[in-house]
Amino acid sequence: MTSVIETKNLCRFFGNDETRVNALQDVSISIEEGEFTAIIGPSGSGKTTLLHLIGGLDNPDSGIIELSDVNIADMTGTELSDFRRDHIGFIFQSYNLIPVLSAAENIEYIMLLQGVPARTRAEQVREMLHMVGLDDLGDRRPAQLSGGQQQRVAVARAMASKPDIILADEPTANLDSKTGISLLEVMRELNQTKNMTFIFSTHDEKIMDRATRLIHLHDGEIELDERKQA
Amino acid sequence: MLILKIAFRNILRQKRRSLLTGLSMTGGYILCAWSFSLVEGSYGNIIDMFTLDHTGHIQIHKDNYLRKPKIYKTINNRKALETILASNEQVSNFSPRVFSPALAYAGKKTSPVRVIGVDVEQEPTTSRLAQKVKTGEYFDANPDSDGYFKAMIGQGVADTLQLDIGDEIVLISQGADGSIANDIFIIGAVVGNRTSYDRLGVYLPLGAAQMFLSLGSDVHEYAIIVENKDDNEAVAAILQDEMPELVVSPWQKVEETFYRTMQADKQGNEFTLGIVIFIVFVGVLNTVLMSVLERTREFGVLRAIGSRPLEIIKMIFLETMLLAGISVGIGVVLSIPLITWFTYVGLLLPEPIDMSGIEFQYMKGEFSWYVFTTPMWLIFMFSAVVSIPPGLRAAHILPRDALGSH
Ligand SMILES: Nc1ncnc2c1ncn2[C@@H]1O[C@H](COP(=O)(O)OP(=O)(O)O)[C@@H](O)[C@H]1O
Ligand SMILES: [Mg+2]
Repeated sequence: MTSVIETKNLCRFFGNDETRVNALQDVSISIEEGEFTAIIGPSGSGKTTLLHLIGGLDNPDSGIIELSDVNIADMTGTELSDFRRDHIGFIFQSYNLIPVLSAAENIEYIMLLQGVPARTRAEQVREMLHMVGLDDLGDRRPAQLSGGQQQRVAVARAMASKPDIILADEPTANLDSKTGISLLEVMRELNQTKNMTFIFSTHDEKIMDRATRLIHLHDGEIELDERKQA
Repeated sequence: MLILKIAFRNILRQKRRSLLTGLSMTGGYILCAWSFSLVEGSYGNIIDMFTLDHTGHIQIHKDNYLRKPKIYKTINNRKALETILASNEQVSNFSPRVFSPALAYAGKKTSPVRVIGVDVEQEPTTSRLAQKVKTGEYFDANPDSDGYFKAMIGQGVADTLQLDIGDEIVLISQGADGSIANDIFIIGAVVGNRTSYDRLGVYLPLGAAQMFLSLGSDVHEYAIIVENKDDNEAVAAILQDEMPELVVSPWQKVEETFYRTMQADKQGNEFTLGIVIFIVFVGVLNTVLMSVLERTREFGVLRAIGSRPLEIIKMIFLETMLLAGISVGIGVVLSIPLITWFTYVGLLLPEPIDMSGIEFQYMKGEFSWYVFTTPMWLIFMFSAVVSIPPGLRAAHILPRDALGSH
């Protein structure tokens, strides 16, 4: 198996000398292609910080983040924007769709940023909507969709950019457990059928059960890294 | 297209706020266009008035005759000059003139006058002299059976010397050769009124005036009417190149004091409008900033999924320009009837203004490309400028911070 992402000795701290919080300490992980990884740990354990670093939303204080042999730890500005656009898919806890765009347009927008031609975009949008089971709801605005539906659009949006990996920070935290589980099933199916690599964070037991790998974080350090036979 | 859609929907998002902002821009546009129209219209009227009344659009003299008129500063190579004028397509008409101060006698009364010799045929193509005849008839170039030439006098001369049509007037002056000029003329017409620039003028047929002043066939001035009055300075420059031994002056030089005053007045007006627009755009800036702040999280998401900072700036630029475009569009639609009315009907003045014997009853506007496009560019320029600070702000939102705030 080839590794999609490799981090070495990632450290991230916040605050000054007196109030210093070590959000992440010496985190070294290697994520293989096709893995369905859950990062688990109590609130404040560093899950979000780790996902932000891997996704290029934040820079570490030290350490290396390698994605196909490119170290993104020191990238900034446009370089990092373009990296996120072309290599990372994001799913956020509070959906974060663009409210003025319909579901379909939300999915299309990211392809527009990538410079995908209009006809291809239209085809892709249809395919993505179908994949997340929202074939008929493409014209609806986020406000006209339920939380679960919005999060499916977010999954479709993340898939649309054809990223190397999709990062989801507590994607089910705002959903009731039934909706949460069904969302996770959608993600798992994409993981299996499209071989898309996912990393998601959660502290919900029912959700973490579905992961193929569990990385336990505690106070910014990896406590346990277990692979399960799914 | 999707980008435009986003901009449009974002404008519709805060309908009331966009409406107010848009209305303020529309109002600013109409105010500017209307004000430009009135200023251009009024000055256009005044300029037409004196250029068509006597200055023409361009004048040609020898040396500094315009500032220091002396009888001996004459244009003598007239053939060559007229060939140049005739071959210039921009020149539609021209007319030669001579001038001299003189003393006029009639009975026991005397008055200082200004002798103006004009070409009887050409002058009416260049100035309104023929239309200004109040009593009597426009003169001809030939002497009457007794050998006397006709003169046309200004109302001031007629009043002071109590002259009527058919009366004699004696003029005394100095000829170009230093001799005493002294001759009798018959009043053929009274021109203009008491406020005309030529109220103290005595018009003579060119030949008679040249004889009276011993000028031979020389003249002091050529007045020129051009095809397109807005091009007069360019035409003057071309003519100047072609006749380096003479001085070619556009009316802006001839009436320099007026021109300066007008420019200052226009600048004052522009400055006032600039302040109005500035106030409008403080409001616009506020609106755009507010809409950016409200959408901090959204911009954070856009940055997170890979929008470049420049794309965010473009987005806000586009929204601002789109709102400005719609506002200006409405402004144009509303100002067309307003300005049309002012141009063709005009505002009835409580008292007519009299200028050189022509009465202005109405305050009129100008309907021109300039009047409509100037405020347009002004508003687009301001919009572009005003969208930059909020754009930069939005572009520098850190996704990490924006996403953290739930
Ligand atoms: N921007 C920040 N400024 C200061 N402290 C932060 C910031 N982001 C995270 N932290 C701290 O870092 C630690 C890890 O936070 P986070 O990664 O959000 O944990 P989790 O997502 O597991 O709840 C926490 O103690 C948190 O308070
Ligand atoms: Mg978190």
